[in-house]
Amino acid sequence: MSNTKSLLTIKDLYAGIEEKQILKGFNLDIKPGEVHAIMGPNGAGKSTMGYVLSGRDGYEVESGSVTFNGENLLDLEIEERANAGLFLAFQYPVEIPGVSNLEFLKASVDAVRAANGEEAITSSELLKQAKAACKQVNLPLAFLKRGVNEGFSGGEKKRNELMQMLLLKPKLCILDETDSGLDIDALQLVAEGVNSQRSPDRSFIIVTHYQRLLDYIKPDFVHVLADGKIVKSGDASLALELESQGYAWLENGNVEAKIEE
Amino acid sequence: MSEWLESAIIRGQKIDDWLTPKRTQAIDLLSTTPWPTRKTEAWRYTSLRAIQNSKAKNIETIANLLPQNITDLSAIELVFINGQWDKTQLPDVLPKGLSISLGSDLNKEQQSQALANFSDIKPKRHLFGLVNDALAQDVVIVNVEDGFNIKQPLRISSLLSLGAESHTRVQVTLGKESHLAVIEDVKAEGDSLCTAFVEYQVSAKAHLEHYRFALQTGSNVAVGGCHFNLLDHSSMHSTIVAFGSDLSRLDTDIIHSGEFVDAKLNAIYLLDGNELFDLHATVEHAMPNGTTEENVRCIVAGRSKAVFNGRIHIHRDAQKTLAELNNRNLLMTNTAEINTKPELEIYADDVRCAHGATSAQVDKQALYYLQTRGIDRAKASVMLNFGFINELIDLMPNTVLSEWIRPIIRNRFSAMEVK
Repeated sequence: MSNTKSLLTIKDLYAGIEEKQILKGFNLDIKPGEVHAIMGPNGAGKSTMGYVLSGRDGYEVESGSVTFNGENLLDLEIEERANAGLFLAFQYPVEIPGVSNLEFLKASVDAVRAANGEEAITSSELLKQAKAACKQVNLPLAFLKRGVNEGFSGGEKKRNELMQMLLLKPKLCILDETDSGLDIDALQLVAEGVNSQRSPDRSFIIVTHYQRLLDYIKPDFVHVLADGKIVKSGDASLALELESQGYAWLENGNVEAKIEE
Repeated sequence: MSEWLESAIIRGQKIDDWLTPKRTQAIDLLSTTPWPTRKTEAWRYTSLRAIQNSKAKNIETIANLLPQNITDLSAIELVFINGQWDKTQLPDVLPKGLSISLGSDLNKEQQSQALANFSDIKPKRHLFGLVNDALAQDVVIVNVEDGFNIKQPLRISSLLSLGAESHTRVQVTLGKESHLAVIEDVKAEGDSLCTAFVEYQVSAKAHLEHYRFALQTGSNVAVGGCHFNLLDHSSMHSTIVAFGSDLSRLDTDIIHSGEFVDAKLNAIYLLDGNELFDLHATVEHAMPNGTTEENVRCIVAGRSKAVFNGRIHIHRDAQKTLAELNNRNLLMTNTAEINTKPELEIYADDVRCAHGATSAQVDKQALYYLQTRGIDRAKASVMLNFGFINELIDLMPNTVLSEWIRPIIRNRFSAMEVK
C-alpha cells in the first residue's frame, strides 16, 4: 500500500473559525480505498475538519497544506472541491423548502458530470438512479418530490445524505457523525450503504464519537483526535480500546482532551 | 377630482337597473372622496397616473376571446369579455348544488337578497371598489347550497380586448358546510383597464379554496379586490400570484365574522422591467378563536416596484386569536423597489401574533450545502431564490394549478433582468 499515491494528505494544518484556533497541527494521509475512522471527544475539532476540507465560509486556514488527488485543495472553491470528488455528509443537513430533492440532485449530478467532461444526465436516467438509491437507503420515493430535507426526521436526513453519495460517486466521503441520532436499524442501513460503496478507488473518513458504527463499517485505521490534532492512531482494535476505557484514558498519555461545544 | 373619476360618476348615474340603490350610494361616496395623491396613505407608493392617462373605453360588441389555457384544468368557466358575461362558455349543466345567474335575471325575492348582499362585505374605503359598484356591468351571482362539495373549480376570467375598459363583479355565497374552489384571473391586451371585484360569503363550516392570478402585464391597468366574510368554523385558503403591469393593484379583506375561523393567504409577486404590483391585505379578527396565516413573498428585478401593506386588526373581543404575517422580499437589482408595511393593531389581550418583514438575502447555510454538492454559487443562488417562491407554490392545494404555474414562474424568473 505504501507505494500507492495518496488521495488526501493533510500536513500540519492549523485552522479555525473567527480567531479561534481549533485544528492545531493536524496530520492525516489517506490512500485510495482506505477507510479511516476519526474518533474523539466533543470539541476536539472533528466537525471543523470536515468544514475546513469542504471550504466552508468563515473557516480560515492559518498554515499547513492539504493535497487532494494531487491538487492543492485549499485553492479550490467549495463546489470545485465537490466536483473534484470530495463529499461531506453532514451531521445536521440543512432543510431547503422550495427546492425539490430531484431538482437538487439533477443540478448536483450534472455539476459533477460537467466537471468530468460528461454530458448532463437525462431526467429519466436521473429518476431511475435516484429511485434505485432511495430504495437502497430505504427512503420513500415521495421524498424526491419534496423540498430538500424538508420535514425529514433526523434519520431520514442522514439517509438522504447517503443517497446523494450513492448518486455522486465521490472519491472521498467524509461522514460527519452520520451515526448520531440513529437507531440500530438505521445505523445498519447506513453502514450497508457505505459498505456497498467501498471500492479500491473510493476512500472514507468516518467521524464518530462512538465505536458502534465501526461494528458495521470496519475501518482500516482508527485515529484519535483531541484538541485539534491526532494523538493516537492504530487499527480497528483502537476503537474497541477507546470504547472500553473512554477518552479519559488518553489523558494518561498526557493528552488533554478539551471538552468544548 | 380627476377627469377620469368625474366621467365614471356621470356614466354610473346613467345606469338604471336593479342595482341602482347601491350604485347611488357608491356615487354619493365617490363624489365626496378626494382623488388619491401621494399623501393618501392607501396610494402612497402607487401612482394613479396610468388610470388618468388611460384611453380605454367600453366596447359594446362581444369579442371572440377565450381564457388562457390551463393545461389539464377542467373548470366551470365564468367568462367576462370586456365586462360582459359570455354565457356560452358556461357548461349547460352545472354540478348539483351550484347555481350561477345574472343578477338581473333573478326573481324579485332573490334580487332583493342579492341587492342587500351587494357591497356588504367589501369595505367602503376602497375607491375603485366604489367605482366598480357604480359601473359594474354584468353582475353574476354564484351560490353553493348548504352541504354541497363542488368538486370542479369555478374559474372567473376577465378578458379584455385592446383598448377595452371593463368592470366585472361576482358575488359568491358558500352555504353551510359546503366547499368550493374559485380561480380568478385576468387576461388583457394592451392599453386596457379593468376593475374586477368579488365578494365571498363563507357560511358556517364551509371551506373556500381561492386563487387569484394577476398575470396581466404591460400597459394593462387593473384594480381589483377579493373580500371574504367568514362565519363560524369556516375556513379559506387563498393563493395570489402576481406579475406587474403599468398599474396592478389588489385589495383583499379577510373578515373573521364568526368564531374558530381559519384563514390562510399566500401571495407571490414576481416583478420585472417597470412593472408595479400593489397588494393591500387586511385581516379583521372581529371574533375570538380565529387563526390567520399570511405569507407574502416578492422578487423584484429591473426597475420594478412592489408594494405590500398587510394589516391585521384584532378587535377587543377577538381573544385567543392566532395571527401570523410574514413578508419576505428579494431585491435582484438595486434599481428595483420594495415598499412594505406590516401593521398589527391589537385590542385583545389574550392573543398570539407575529409579524415580520425582511429583505431576504440568500440563506448562507443552504448556499454552502448546495455548493458542497458541486453546484456553483451563481446557480445555487438562482435555485434558492426560485425555491423562495416555489415554497408557496408547493402549498397550493390544487396540483393541476401548481404544475401549470410553476414553469411559467420559472421562465419569468430566469428571464429576469438582474444587474
